[in-house]
Amino acid sequence: MNKTGFLYDERYKLHETGHFHPEVPDRLPSVYNGIKKAGLLSKLVQIKACMPEMKWIETVHDKNYIQRFEAACSSGKTIFDSPDNQMCSVTYDTALLAVGGILAAVRQVMDGELNNAFCAVRPPGHHAEINRAMGFCYFNNIAIAARYIQKQWGIERVGIVDFDVHHGNGTQHIFEDDPTVFYYSIHQHPSFAYPGTGREFEYGKNLGYGYTKNSPVLPGQGDTEYKRLMQRDLFPAFAEFKPEVILVSAGFDAHVDDDMSDIKLSTEGFSWIVQKIVEMANTCAHGRLISVLEGGYSLRRLPELARNHVEILLNG
Amino acid sequence: MFVSRSMTRKVITVDQEAYIFEAQELMTRKNIRHLPVVDKANRLIGIVTDRDIRSALPYRFFKESFSETKKEKLSNLSVKDIMSKNPISISPTYTIQDALLVIQDSRVGALPVVDDDGKLTGIISVRDLLRAFTNVLGIGEPGTLLCILVEEKVGQLKKIVDAITKENISFGSVLVARYWDENKRAVFPYLLTQNVAHVKKKLEKLGFTLLDPMQWYLDQLPKHEVTAETPK
Repeated sequence: MNKTGFLYDERYKLHETGHFHPEVPDRLPSVYNGIKKAGLLSKLVQIKACMPEMKWIETVHDKNYIQRFEAACSSGKTIFDSPDNQMCSVTYDTALLAVGGILAAVRQVMDGELNNAFCAVRPPGHHAEINRAMGFCYFNNIAIAARYIQKQWGIERVGIVDFDVHHGNGTQHIFEDDPTVFYYSIHQHPSFAYPGTGREFEYGKNLGYGYTKNSPVLPGQGDTEYKRLMQRDLFPAFAEFKPEVILVSAGFDAHVDDDMSDIKLSTEGFSWIVQKIVEMANTCAHGRLISVLEGGYSLRRLPELARNHVEILLNG
Repeated sequence: MFVSRSMTRKVITVDQEAYIFEAQELMTRKNIRHLPVVDKANRLIGIVTDRDIRSALPYRFFKESFSETKKEKLSNLSVKDIMSKNPISISPTYTIQDALLVIQDSRVGALPVVDDDGKLTGIISVRDLLRAFTNVLGIGEPGTLLCILVEEKVGQLKKIVDAITKENISFGSVLVARYWDENKRAVFPYLLTQNVAHVKKKLEKLGFTLLDPMQWYLDQLPKHEVTAETPK
């Protein structure tokens, strides 16, 4: 059995998003309780939130953006950059705690104390651009983790797998010029879903050309299509790229019961995806894998999806 | 909305006395497919396309069997020998819609833009029009497209817009397209948000049908055109 870290902290619930917003604090207790009720907590190494060093956030975001975010939050604004990004007075601090907790999990995996980890954080991160908050995201958690790994441990190749039902525009743009970070995303086709990027012909830019890969999925599709596309697009690409660490943007909103998309993945379909990613990490990355929560809004389905997710990480 | 705002102003032109190989080389180098031909006073007298040139050069030209004299004769062809004289042109005060309809009717790939004195002031290509319509669709900004089926009667769009506005959601664009049923329209609001689940439920409560994304279409049924052109 693997040593698997589990990042969870009650403070992640403090970021409030207002009425009729799907990215609600209750998502986290759903995740936590699913894992707890399955009796998995005692098998996991629990990690708590902490404040990160700002220099790591600055490896991805402009200083000016970070200041703008802090100022907007402390001045009592309830919206930052786009109406989707509703916030409260502690949103900035919560976003920092999310990054800090993830970096703590990364450190333990990289130092060999853990094999892998699942980080149940809010707010999510993959839509956040260098200079702009978008789609419920403020700091690009996964991108900051990738840069931290590269700079602190001298790792050359980081692979990111993003199976949130929305394309991670922020992550793609941050690394589109960078041949050392391979970004793979599978998501609902951008003509039918937010944010409208992640088309099949986006391959990265300049030196990074060929190190971005997108698998858009048409509405109504589910397990079979995900398996076909990941076998076609992801597995050969990572077999060639040989990432030394794998980061996962784990969004659970492609589930058939999640009303944020028209994709119909089953609970078993998610398990298949995660199992395959874990196998890739075992093959090329010494099992090193850090998974970070992105979307996933079905409070009914999150418990089982989170439980299966960590169970697969534990069993390797 | 005017052609003058969307056209290319720095037009690459060619002299009618230029050899066709020079014209061909120029188009390849500049990555264009249309060369307006102008006189000394910059008045439009013709247009030459990469297709005109390819049609003028027989395939055999590139084979050795082709006689040297014939090769030389073709090499001496100049633009004036193959250009379309008096090409279709439009005025800079034409609208984008005008240009679209002219291009669709005339089946050309680009239209020279000529002022009242007959002088060339620009060129507008299919590519320029596509750029304009990409902009109209609003797809450069992050957002979510919905498709709502409505009865064809006054006031439907207002209900939709009001419902969405109440949710504090901004519009990237709204398209209205024909639908299979004659008395129905498909409305496509492009919403600048990720958060559409609630507004979708609200629209359904108001009695609107949200169309399955796999059933969306923006165009008249392709079947229509095929049957029109099939010889009987």
